[in-house]
Amino acid sequence: MENVKIDSAGPVPSRSDEAKRRVRQDSGIKPGRVLLTLLMSGFALLMIMPFVWMIGTSFKSPAEVFVYPVKWIPTILNWEHHIRVWTGPAGFATYYLNSLKISLISTVGAVFLSSLAAYGFARIKFKGREPLFLLYLSMMMVPPQVLFVPKFILFDAIGIYNTHLALILPGMFTIFGVFMMRQFFLSVPGEITEAAFIDGAGHFRIFFRLMLPLAKPALATLAIIDFSWHWNDYENALVFLLDRNLFTVPLGLQNFILENTVDYNGMMAAATAGIVPMLLVFVIGQRYIIQGVAGSSVKG
Amino acid sequence: MGKSWLKRQSLLGYAFIGPNMLGVLLFFILPAVYSFYLMFTDYTFMNPAISFVGFANIERMLGDEQFYTALRNTLIFLLSVPVSILLAFLVAAALNKAVYWKKTLRALYFMPYITSGVAVAFVWMLLFQPTSGPINGFLRSIGIDHPPGWLSATESAMFAIDIIWIWFMLGYNMIIYLAALQEIPEELVEAARIDGARPWAILHRVIWPLVSPTTFLLLVTGLIMSIKTFGIIQAITQGGPGDSTTVLSLFIYQNAFRYYEMGYASAISWALFAIILVFTVLQWIGQKRWVHY
Repeated sequence: MENVKIDSAGPVPSRSDEAKRRVRQDSGIKPGRVLLTLLMSGFALLMIMPFVWMIGTSFKSPAEVFVYPVKWIPTILNWEHHIRVWTGPAGFATYYLNSLKISLISTVGAVFLSSLAAYGFARIKFKGREPLFLLYLSMMMVPPQVLFVPKFILFDAIGIYNTHLALILPGMFTIFGVFMMRQFFLSVPGEITEAAFIDGAGHFRIFFRLMLPLAKPALATLAIIDFSWHWNDYENALVFLLDRNLFTVPLGLQNFILENTVDYNGMMAAATAGIVPMLLVFVIGQRYIIQGVAGSSVKG
Repeated sequence: MGKSWLKRQSLLGYAFIGPNMLGVLLFFILPAVYSFYLMFTDYTFMNPAISFVGFANIERMLGDEQFYTALRNTLIFLLSVPVSILLAFLVAAALNKAVYWKKTLRALYFMPYITSGVAVAFVWMLLFQPTSGPINGFLRSIGIDHPPGWLSATESAMFAIDIIWIWFMLGYNMIIYLAALQEIPEELVEAARIDGARPWAILHRVIWPLVSPTTFLLLVTGLIMSIKTFGIIQAITQGGPGDSTTVLSLFIYQNAFRYYEMGYASAISWALFAIILVFTVLQWIGQKRWVHY
């Protein structure tokens, strides 16, 4: 955008002019704006309609599920579907603990290991750096489908197939994370580290004492993105887990639905259990998540 | 700065990237190499004796009707990407300036993207229920007597999944567009307005061309991301009814882990890689051309 020049547009309005104009624009209710707001709100309701229907249905009685016109709010709140989902033989409590354990360990490992590597790529000149980075770049193109079979054979051979390690160990390595953090470390001006070098600090000290604290926002963004990726990951769990007591939330959800094909209330109670925690995290950390998503893809 | 300094730098560099490199080697590079080898074998998991079969798997793939069905389904699936991008542009343009409750609306549109794809897919499965689900209930109430069978009919199942995917991706695309729209200088839009351009013309003639690099980026990354996805499809249709929703990535999964044809599955997975490679090359070329507009 820097090279878009608009010399013909006349003098650039000063800050105060712009502020005044803003005030003028925002004050008073404009009919066009109200109309568009209503239209966009209508579409927004359509966007969240599946969630509303899901939560409503999870409290309905079986007879109310498919009543038309849709009953958005059930006459009586039936908690029994939720109780059934959470307490069954392999209930969602187990799946939650599994998902939490896998996602947390993977995320912590991935954030640390990728920022370490990213610092190496961004800040240290060493032999073979460029070809190695190119190798990383090329690995981003390899789809997971290529890797499933050989990973399955490897995990079977080293005895971690059908254990949580099959998800945690590979989960600690993210090429995307290396890219994102490298981008950040590249953006830190050299003068900041130069002073530390003159004072005799080595790379490790600069990394831990100077760079990591500086990188807090980027680290938080990576952690959120990585965590939600692990939390929602269904495909790896599907391939590498077999035992029901090891299942993660998405896999447990599918299992529940396969075993209760006509229990629509139970299905929606299970789906609610799978979705609502992420929705809560989102409502609380909304600003950071949106900024993170927007920032990561623009910079990365 | 003698030789020893350089050597020390190299050692330090390896110390930093070493731990990550080890994992990348073990979980990305070696499996990729091994998969490339498996492509030329008859490995089936049931039969541990691997023998080299040359190009037999590739020949089989090129003569396999199901492979072409999967390609066709993939193409229909990928149609959702441009549709979602276009809708997201319109939503972002509306939310960027001209509405109240900007932040709330932005959050609502983004919500589907952060939820587990599998969980919401099950909700859609019930919404699409053909005989008494709410979507067909609505369609009947507005006078459509024979609404589509959605996920339970071969001719409409892929489109039903497209709808879910458009809904899922819309918020992400919108966020990226909102970031791009914020970069557009206010003066440019103002100038067009002073020259008498209508809002629609400003959107179409001024803003749309200005965000073209973002559109291009979203298109390529969206295509790559979507072509690798099979989770939500496996979860709700397992590729059915028939093979009407078996996209390429799901076809690979099924061959590997339902039929244990792992040599064959490896061959198809490299076909998928080839398609992604083409998209990536397009992105490189496009970036060079589109970065400055």
